[in-house]
Amino acid sequence: MNALSWLTGRTPQLTEQQRQRCEHLPTAAALDDTALNQQRLVVIDLETSGLDMRRDQVLSIGAVVIEQGAIDLGQQFECTLQRHDHQVSASVLIHGLAPSAIAAGIAPAEALLGFMEFLGDSPLLAFHAGFDQRMLGRALKQTLGYRLRHPFFDAAELAPLLCPQANIQQGGLDDWTDYFGLQVQQRHHASADALVTAELALILFSRARQQQFDSLLALEQGLAGWRRRQQAHSL
Amino acid sequence: MSKTDAFAEAGKTAVLQNIHGTMEFLQKFPPFNQMDSAHLAYLVEHCQLRFYGQGESIIKPDDGPVEHFYIVKQGRVHGERPHSARRGSETTFEITSGECFPLAALIGDRATRTEHLAAEDTFCLLLSKPAFIKLFALSNPLRDFALRGVSSLLDQVNQRVQLNAVETLGAQYSLDTPLGELAMRQPISCTPNTALREAVKLMHEQHVGSIVIVDPAHKPLGIFTLRDLRRVVAAGNSLDQPIDSLMTPEPFHLPPDASAFDAAIAMTERHIAHVCLVERGRLSGVVSERDLFSLQRIDLVHLARTIRHAGKVETLAALRSDIRQLVDRMLAHGASSTQITHLITLLNDHTVCRVIELTLEDLGDPGVPFTWLCFGSEGRREQTLHTDQDNGILFEAKDATETADMRRRLLPVAVEINQRLAQCDFTLCKGNIMAGNPELCLSRQEWTRRFTSFIHEATPENLLASSIYFDLRVVWGDSQGCEQVRQTLFKQIAGNSLFQRMMAENALRQRPPVGRFRDFVVARTGAEKHTLDLKVQGLTPFVDGARLLALAHGVETCNTLERLRELIDKGVIEALDGAAYEEAYHFIQQTRMQQHQLQARQQLPYSNRLDPDRLNHLDRRILRESFRQAQRLQSSLALRYQL
Repeated sequence: MNALSWLTGRTPQLTEQQRQRCEHLPTAAALDDTALNQQRLVVIDLETSGLDMRRDQVLSIGAVVIEQGAIDLGQQFECTLQRHDHQVSASVLIHGLAPSAIAAGIAPAEALLGFMEFLGDSPLLAFHAGFDQRMLGRALKQTLGYRLRHPFFDAAELAPLLCPQANIQQGGLDDWTDYFGLQVQQRHHASADALVTAELALILFSRARQQQFDSLLALEQGLAGWRRRQQAHSL
Repeated sequence: MSKTDAFAEAGKTAVLQNIHGTMEFLQKFPPFNQMDSAHLAYLVEHCQLRFYGQGESIIKPDDGPVEHFYIVKQGRVHGERPHSARRGSETTFEITSGECFPLAALIGDRATRTEHLAAEDTFCLLLSKPAFIKLFALSNPLRDFALRGVSSLLDQVNQRVQLNAVETLGAQYSLDTPLGELAMRQPISCTPNTALREAVKLMHEQHVGSIVIVDPAHKPLGIFTLRDLRRVVAAGNSLDQPIDSLMTPEPFHLPPDASAFDAAIAMTERHIAHVCLVERGRLSGVVSERDLFSLQRIDLVHLARTIRHAGKVETLAALRSDIRQLVDRMLAHGASSTQITHLITLLNDHTVCRVIELTLEDLGDPGVPFTWLCFGSEGRREQTLHTDQDNGILFEAKDATETADMRRRLLPVAVEINQRLAQCDFTLCKGNIMAGNPELCLSRQEWTRRFTSFIHEATPENLLASSIYFDLRVVWGDSQGCEQVRQTLFKQIAGNSLFQRMMAENALRQRPPVGRFRDFVVARTGAEKHTLDLKVQGLTPFVDGARLLALAHGVETCNTLERLRELIDKGVIEALDGAAYEEAYHFIQQTRMQQHQLQARQQLPYSNRLDPDRLNHLDRRILRESFRQAQRLQSSLALRYQL
């Protein structure tokens, strides 16, 4: 029993080999002033059994990599998680994952380890990242006893900061893909949503460079200032 | 499930959603739609997706040898070259969704010569050069496409046009078949001193309708046909005289690589039934009318002859539907729009001549020699089935009194000819540009005066008139007077830069229907919503441009394509530009004719308006490129005349 599993109060069912892999996962790199077109970044989208961040489960993970300023189509992560206790709920209508597909998925521990190895020490980006951060964090903790510390960037927050002229305040992914005329191959498929979010990110980074935010650190600082201003406005 | 099936199945599910999605996207476009799906999957898996903001440079000449094969996923890319004559640069081409670049530079292992800029926010798929080279070796469709570029697109269109035609007609030969392939057997020939009796015996034994008289080096000296034999027998000539006194000397000949179409046209023009094939001065074959008929089932020669000998206007009118069928079949056999317009003009000329002759027989000779002129598209030999009358009469008179007298005698004949032509489907001209109009039944001096006034008083009406009348041609009668008028016209235009400038302005009036931000510019409202005009917006810029340059540089021919060719020969336009204009003009005309044929078959009225969305992807793309060539021609005129 290691220190992490002791903290969770539960013993994750891991093989010895899995436990070793888990221990060798790299720690997240701190944000620095690496230029945006040199920064490796992983864009993710999760499909879940529902929107309850305490009870619902991660059903599939889609991720694409932005590296050297481009999306590398050869480097993608796509995986459906095996859930024996999965109850079919109304959300099946959204993500379209059939119970049979979920039953045929990969064991959660394998899937999550695979994803974390794919992620490496790179920061993450998602649309409405808060949700993905909480869901992924909880799954990692419960399944692997691993605490997720990687920084997340939220495209839903970056977009109105960098493109105020779009005049979209509380927009969803569809609002922004419409605004930029992006095509989604299959909406609410984790990989396809991750890809279109990554395309959105490429546009946003191009706008960010024009506005002198040429690193994730600069963007993080820009976001902090923007959050303060938004708060001041709402007061 | 067998082992291989299981493997294939596993391969399928192993393809990631996004790879699959991108493949589906690419499969809408050539050459990707023809590629093996394993090759296409390899392509997509080795791609990066990159974003370029509007105005951002994608590749430029300074970047050195090209490192990637680019496919536009979304957005538009412009090719910008330094302007040849001005400072700044000009957009030479546009690349949109599904299209790729820069093939020539990539294959040539060199830098691009054109800067590629994102014309709007654009995503491109980038395949690295090593991956491209690997695919290039594996995939035939990709290699073909890359090596042949856009011309392979045109080939695809042509292949499909012919394929469709073959499907509807169940025939499988083409008008482009070389004559050498048609003349299967050895030609029958004899020496000049052979007795006629011997020669006819030879023809009879060999079952042929003609014999060619050759010298010892096998050079053809003359031809003797069964028709000639009838003449000889009727005249009571002896069958024992040597054949060279009875043959038709200097027979018409073509090289063996000339096409069936060339032979058909020659027979139609010259009223001959046999064409000798001559290669390096030696007789190599004979193609007869019958060879062509059995091949084409196109009764071209026969039709022309029937028109020329029709006894009544009603017969001529009835023959119009035969012409329509003929055009239908020719399109089906893959004839080009140029071949077809040429042929329609030829048959129309025969019809006009016959109508004139019949009218003169019926009304009696007015006793004044006259020349029948035609203008506009008929003058340019660019008629389609959908045609208006634009004609006039020219005659020679000594003075004003004689002019008035001659006109009085000619007018009733002219009016009658106009009416009879109308019976034959030559629609009466709404603008009354017809020989029956006293203002268009003029002496040579009057025509010259009239044209001079167009040039000196450049009113909008006169400019419009010059765009019709200055494409003039003789259809019937002596052509000397017309040539004199034309020479005077050239002299006046060459020395009048103001008029040239006005004509240039006029030539820029019709803007080709492509915009900066959209595929095509189409009508937004009314019955013509979503359509564009192939003739006015697509062909007119070429016709007007070619006319202006031809008149300013003394090019006598009126046909737009011939004008372009002569302008290249004279160095007025660059050969590459001229060839591009020709190809573009040709494609627009072809599209227009196919539409006319379709309308005729559906019994709809002829219209030049087209909804570009009804074309398939490939045709739409080429049509758009063709309109861009029209834009280029216009901007070169604007530069030349500093507008």
